[in-house]
Amino acid sequence: MARYGMALDYKNCINCKACEVACKEENGVQLGADKHRIWVGVKDVEGLWPNISIASSTFEPSQCQQCENAPCQEVCPTQATHYAKGGIVMVDADKCILCSYCMEACPYDARYVKEDTMTVDKCTFCSDTRLLRGETTTACQATCPTKVRTFGDLDDPNSEISQLLSHRQHFTLKTHLGTKPKLFYMI
Amino acid sequence: MKVEISRRKFLQGSVALSIIGGTSFSATKLLSEDEHDIGDMRIMTRTTNIKAEKVPFLCGMCVNKCAGFARVEKGVVVKLDPNPYFPKSRNMLCPRGNAGIQTLYDPDRLKYPMVRVGERGDGKFKRVTWDEAYHAILHGTDKFKGILQILDEEKDNRSTIGYCNGEGLSKEGFEELMGQKIGTPNYVDEISICLESVLGAYSATIGAYGEADMSNADFVIIAGANRAEAIITPDTMDMFKRSQGRGLKTIVLDPRFTNTAAKADRWYAVNPGTDLAFVLALTYVVFDENLYNKEFAKKYVVGYEDYKNHVLKNGYTPEWAEKITNIPAKEIYKTAREFMASEHPIYYQGRRSVFSKNDFQLRRAMGIFQGLSGNLDKKGGIVYGKKLTLPKEDMNAPMYGQAQDRFDKDGIAIFAGKTGSWIVFRNMVLEGKNPYPLRAMFMRKHNPLSGVPNTKKTKEFLKKMDLNVMIDILPSDTTMFCDVVLPEASYLERTSPVASYGGLEPAIVQRKASIKPLYECKTPEVIYKELAEQLTKPLWENTLKYDEDVQDDTKGMKTQELAKYYKENGFDLTEPWEKSVEEENKERIVKAFGEEAWKILDEKGVYYPNMKKYHKQLNPNEYQYYPEDKKNYTVKGDKIKVVANFKNLAKKGVDPMPTWKKEYEFSVPEGQFRLVTGRHAQFTQSGTTNNMALRDLIPTNYIWINKRVAEKRGINFGDKVEVKSSIGKIHIKAYPTEKIGPNQIFMLHGFGGSSQDMEMAYGNGGNDATIIEDKIEPVYGAAVMHETNVEVRKV
Amino acid sequence: MFVLAEKIMKQVERFIPMRHTDIRELFKFEKTPLNILVAFTTFVFLILFVIGATNYFIYGHHAYGVTREHPWGLMIAMYIFFVVSSTGLCIMSAIGHVFEVKVLEPFAKRAIHGALVTLLSGFVVIFLEIGHPFRMMIYNTISPGLTSAIWGMGVLYSLYLIFIVIEFFFLLRHDHKWAKRFGIFGLVVGVAAHSNLGAVFGFLVARPVANGIYYPLYFILSAMVTGCYLIFLMYGFKYKLEFPTEMQKTLVATAKILGLLLAILLFFEIWRMLTAIYGGMEDRAVTALHILKSAPFLVGEILLGIVIPFLVILLSNGKAIKTMVFASLGGMVGIFFMRYDLVHDTQLYPMQTLKLTEYQLPPSFIEYTPSMNEIFIALGAVGIAITLYYIGDKILYLETDPD
Ligand SMILES: Nc1nc2c(c(=O)[nH]1)N[C@H]1C(S)=C(S)[C@@H](COP(=O)(O)OP(=O)(O)OC[C@H]3O[C@@H](n4cnc5c(=O)[nH]c(N)nc54)[C@H](O)[C@@H]3O)O[C@H]1N2
Ligand SMILES: Nc1nc2c(c(=O)[nH]1)N[C@H]1C(S)=C(S)[C@@H](COP(=O)(O)OP(=O)(O)OC[C@H]3O[C@@H](n4cnc5c(=O)[nH]c(N)nc54)[C@H](O)[C@@H]3O)O[C@H]1N2
Ligand code: SF4
Ligand code: SF4
Ligand code: SF4
Ligand code: SF4
Ligand code: SF4
Ligand SMILES: [Mo]
Repeated sequence: MARYGMALDYKNCINCKACEVACKEENGVQLGADKHRIWVGVKDVEGLWPNISIASSTFEPSQCQQCENAPCQEVCPTQATHYAKGGIVMVDADKCILCSYCMEACPYDARYVKEDTMTVDKCTFCSDTRLLRGETTTACQATCPTKVRTFGDLDDPNSEISQLLSHRQHFTLKTHLGTKPKLFYMI
Repeated sequence: MKVEISRRKFLQGSVALSIIGGTSFSATKLLSEDEHDIGDMRIMTRTTNIKAEKVPFLCGMCVNKCAGFARVEKGVVVKLDPNPYFPKSRNMLCPRGNAGIQTLYDPDRLKYPMVRVGERGDGKFKRVTWDEAYHAILHGTDKFKGILQILDEEKDNRSTIGYCNGEGLSKEGFEELMGQKIGTPNYVDEISICLESVLGAYSATIGAYGEADMSNADFVIIAGANRAEAIITPDTMDMFKRSQGRGLKTIVLDPRFTNTAAKADRWYAVNPGTDLAFVLALTYVVFDENLYNKEFAKKYVVGYEDYKNHVLKNGYTPEWAEKITNIPAKEIYKTAREFMASEHPIYYQGRRSVFSKNDFQLRRAMGIFQGLSGNLDKKGGIVYGKKLTLPKEDMNAPMYGQAQDRFDKDGIAIFAGKTGSWIVFRNMVLEGKNPYPLRAMFMRKHNPLSGVPNTKKTKEFLKKMDLNVMIDILPSDTTMFCDVVLPEASYLERTSPVASYGGLEPAIVQRKASIKPLYECKTPEVIYKELAEQLTKPLWENTLKYDEDVQDDTKGMKTQELAKYYKENGFDLTEPWEKSVEEENKERIVKAFGEEAWKILDEKGVYYPNMKKYHKQLNPNEYQYYPEDKKNYTVKGDKIKVVANFKNLAKKGVDPMPTWKKEYEFSVPEGQFRLVTGRHAQFTQSGTTNNMALRDLIPTNYIWINKRVAEKRGINFGDKVEVKSSIGKIHIKAYPTEKIGPNQIFMLHGFGGSSQDMEMAYGNGGNDATIIEDKIEPVYGAAVMHETNVEVRKV
Repeated sequence: MFVLAEKIMKQVERFIPMRHTDIRELFKFEKTPLNILVAFTTFVFLILFVIGATNYFIYGHHAYGVTREHPWGLMIAMYIFFVVSSTGLCIMSAIGHVFEVKVLEPFAKRAIHGALVTLLSGFVVIFLEIGHPFRMMIYNTISPGLTSAIWGMGVLYSLYLIFIVIEFFFLLRHDHKWAKRFGIFGLVVGVAAHSNLGAVFGFLVARPVANGIYYPLYFILSAMVTGCYLIFLMYGFKYKLEFPTEMQKTLVATAKILGLLLAILLFFEIWRMLTAIYGGMEDRAVTALHILKSAPFLVGEILLGIVIPFLVILLSNGKAIKTMVFASLGGMVGIFFMRYDLVHDTQLYPMQTLKLTEYQLPPSFIEYTPSMNEIFIALGAVGIAITLYYIGDKILYLETDPD
């Protein structure tokens, strides 16, 4: 059984947002500033011109963390949010009652309301589009100019992601909440 | 023309099946206001599991031309994926590349030919058939004159017709038609508003523009180029994988803190237009401390002793430069020493170049400085690379006795080939300084109302014409000033002539049509062909009527002989388009590389010799294109030449060696600001402002204004301000930030559309071209973009 | 219509003693200025409700001011407002008729009636918040998310509804034995449902000010306070401030209990703030400070909701029951803000603290303004509650009969 995760060489990120557009086109994510599965976070720079702190300005590409201990799954009253194959946290649109509880619960602001079904949606690791067709990269990974993302099976010791994580230091976001994210940021 | 298909209806039409139409009415939120709401336009494609075609294409969303595969499901392009075979774009598509689908299916696309029925600029057109459109070009209507009448009145002086074209794969064909076949020399394009001075200066200095080998460099000074946001492959890809302590030390010079600066080791907030002083000071340190590569300099740098004397004698010290550039002297010392101490240092050439009058000299100084490191024509340096040659097509260009020389050479030191100077060309016509009249403009894929400084003058220029013809895919601002508008198939609907990309890892690429042209659009080559067919005989008659040379030649000829003469001397305009692009591509490739090569190219969109052997996937993200020992790091050997002292220039009144002049100093009157413009990763100039997916990411342009200055003036984020220069004013939102200096403002170029038929672009943000003064750089006459001072006032 | 309704009521009358079965009677009331005012306001509220609900059915959540960052809004606050009122009334009623505190027994029936009315109003509101309410009924049953506090809440409140309906039924039939039994069930399930509501927020580990263990207790406490306020309001209106002696005793006793509850509640609030601010968690502290400075908290929650009623009771030793009616009106406004703040404050601190585009201000506290539709529905729900209460009051015997 696979356990999918993603390693991010986040220092490569130039905040171009190719990943965001690719995700939208691949997965039919509607437009609108609040409808995104993936994003790049930027902190306002510190310092006064011309002494701006370069270190204060990093780009943090992110998306659903595919938590192993997902608060969104825990709070879903109808099991619409569930762990699917490969440990991917998915929303079953037929079961979602749009109580928005999962949106309250997700610590990463990874969820949004999909307008055509009026249900909650989020990053699926492209499992219902690309992976289903047998492709092995996600849309956001493939298109990235600086190759920030590596998607793969954490349980397979030979996968690229396992290899990367075994020899590169990494961290996860909001680790203290105990959500066990599967997005790994490599230092 | 009226937008007759609303976005919603459009969706229900042909492509509705696999495009998801949202049921998102924006609700009447009486108390809360949602600024980002874009109403009922939330549509995107979604891929499915059904069998799909994967068609190789070359991206046409910007000049860079990355390769990709279009996923076509049931005749609808649903996804654009990167193509892993093209060494230049290395399996990537930027946000604009991904959003190409939204341009293809833009409901505002030009859908059929149109002829103007209102006044120029008011946007009133009538839908016509292609034949009617060609007829109007030839014979005019009651609103405008046709080309035949014009040439009749001008006694077949073909030079009374001007033309312009933006960058792209079908540009050459348009030049063939207008320049060589129809026979006018009066051509302008984006080069004189883009990279003319850097191309010219590098060619003059190191023999070519070259390619910066960012994969192997270890130190780079990137000044006035913003590769994190102005995307050029492979530089953008290679730089940032190794920046910030990972092998490539990066020094950024930019008046503002860009995303490139955010990835740098050091950022210097250089005063606009003063880079030359910085480079001269670097050079000073290098000569003064004997840091340069002496062996290399002796052997290859022409006139380096003269230059050394020149730089030292003029006292271009870091202390001198500090005052001019706003960069501390000790930082200049440090940078110069580090640069020369590095094994593979690069002073990045840049691309869009003409920021100030001294640009030609700046680029020369940069090239010489690079030469002094000796890091040229080798791994990790600026390399020359190779190009795979494609067989040339013969072109039989006629000679027109009545045609005259182009006229925009006035006040320009070096006249750079056929691309001319937009500003000189336009202004001469406006001021009536052209020796013979210019009466028509044929335009394609170019939007001078947005790209050429001083929009007002461009409008007047277009109004002065008897005939304006536009070939575009969208009803651009410039289109509104045209008489006949021809709708072109967008890049995903057309197969383009094969192209060869040189460099370290050369390759040949082909863009294949993913789908058939939508609506009544036609591919450019078909348009050229049909135009040629329609024009050739009537224009030939006109030539016969006025061209004395031809008259002499053909005196007494019988019809048949005459027909032969007409064909043999190239007066038959249709000749270059006898074969379709598809046939031509195949023929050329098979001729040069064989059948097998064609098969690979046709299927993969890319071909280079030994591709099957060389091309390997290294990991999920990376590929090898050429093995290390087959890359063209070194091609020049002993033929390298760096020209430090270019004596010939003196004859043309240009400094033979880069020299700083007092007038280059940066100064802004108290209370005013210097206007700087540029790019962002999520749009391309004016071409993408109507693209929904991109508009979603970057809704409008703002002016960057220093936070503390804004505070003093009571300007808050999002406040509307008026930006006024000597030639015009715009209204735009404010973005107070510490990322820019107190007497400068910055805005993204390309917004502020004035064409009402572009629903998303119209009136969105400010158009910088309406306030940038039309100044030229004296060597090539290229447009100087950042020498305009403006006033900013909250409104 | 009327005829049919009357037939039904005639049937019902066979099981439950009723005052009127004539529907026309419903529209007759004493035309005092106050009554007219209340009737008119209620009517307007009901119309607003129809407008709001219609817009919701057309535009879905777009009719509301909720966003990705602030997915829960006024509807949830209103729902909590009502169901907490219901629990409070149920508890207060139980003190009298289940635990047989004689002095509080007189309002047992009326309080349960109130509990029912507020619960139903709450359900109406939540029906207009859940995107797919019918789907909810199906999948809550066949695909239960057992770890979900919302699922638990759904189940418990449904049971609670059933129990208090039965309890009310027996109370109306003067069947004290069964009323008491179901009273206990109702109370237990109600309290459970209620503390579960606390858990709905308590489980939000992501949200810095959602503090787990504190919520369930706080909820029970504030519920009882709400119950007391509503009792004052119901009787103040009923007797037009001219209370019979028996009632005076009951209300003085209620006031004293209320005083005690308010003291504890205030104490809770103070400690909640103190631990939040000095608890060593940066995000929680800044949020708490932000809340501390907000008017809904200071004026609504603290001043109107707690301090004024508390002072009235303290200064009069609980005897100023007329003033208490007015204080309770303010009290309910305060309680509304308590619910609103609970929902809003939980979401104040952004989950995304980074900018997502160049051209935006850095995310700060999340703002939320209810849309007109939400306000219409909220007011409408109050209208529904008043209407239902009025109908019950008109046709049923709500006074506890002296045995
Ligand atoms: N995303 C995207 N990519 C593009 C394009 C696009 O439109 N969008 N266009 C393509 C084209 S046609 C071109 S030519 C290239 C252009 O590529 P670039 O030249 O790299 O891009 P620009 O943003 O035009 O300008 C570069 C920077 O110069 C800075 N600058 C201005 N004046 C000065 C100065 O005096 N000194 C220094 N040191 N810096 C200065 C500006 O602040 C700006 O950040 O990009 C290509 N790539
Ligand atoms: N102030 C300021 N001015 C600038 C710049 C700047 O940074 N600041 N940048 C300069 C630079 S570097 C450049 S390269 C120029 C670019 O200037 P232009 O070459 O004019 O480029 P765009 O503004 O993108 O306009 C392109 C036009 O081509 C149309 N088009 C797009 N695709 C197709 C197609 O497939 N077929 C046809 N027929 N038409 C198509 C679009 O609809 C649009 O009208 O602008 C220059 N002007
Ligand atoms: S595509 Fe890559 S570089 Fe661009 S924003 Fe996404 S992660 Fe960053
Ligand atoms: S990031 Fe949010 S949406 Fe994704 S699994 Fe974790 S809690 Fe759920
Ligand atoms: S909104 Fe849908 S997915 Fe989220 S918790 Fe409710 S039912 Fe589950
Ligand atoms: S993995 Fe797929 S669904 Fe998730 S963010 Fe990337 S492209 Fe979107
Ligand atoms: S850089 Fe982007 S827009 Fe330009 S060609 Fe490449 S993918 Fe297309
Ligand atoms: Mo350009």
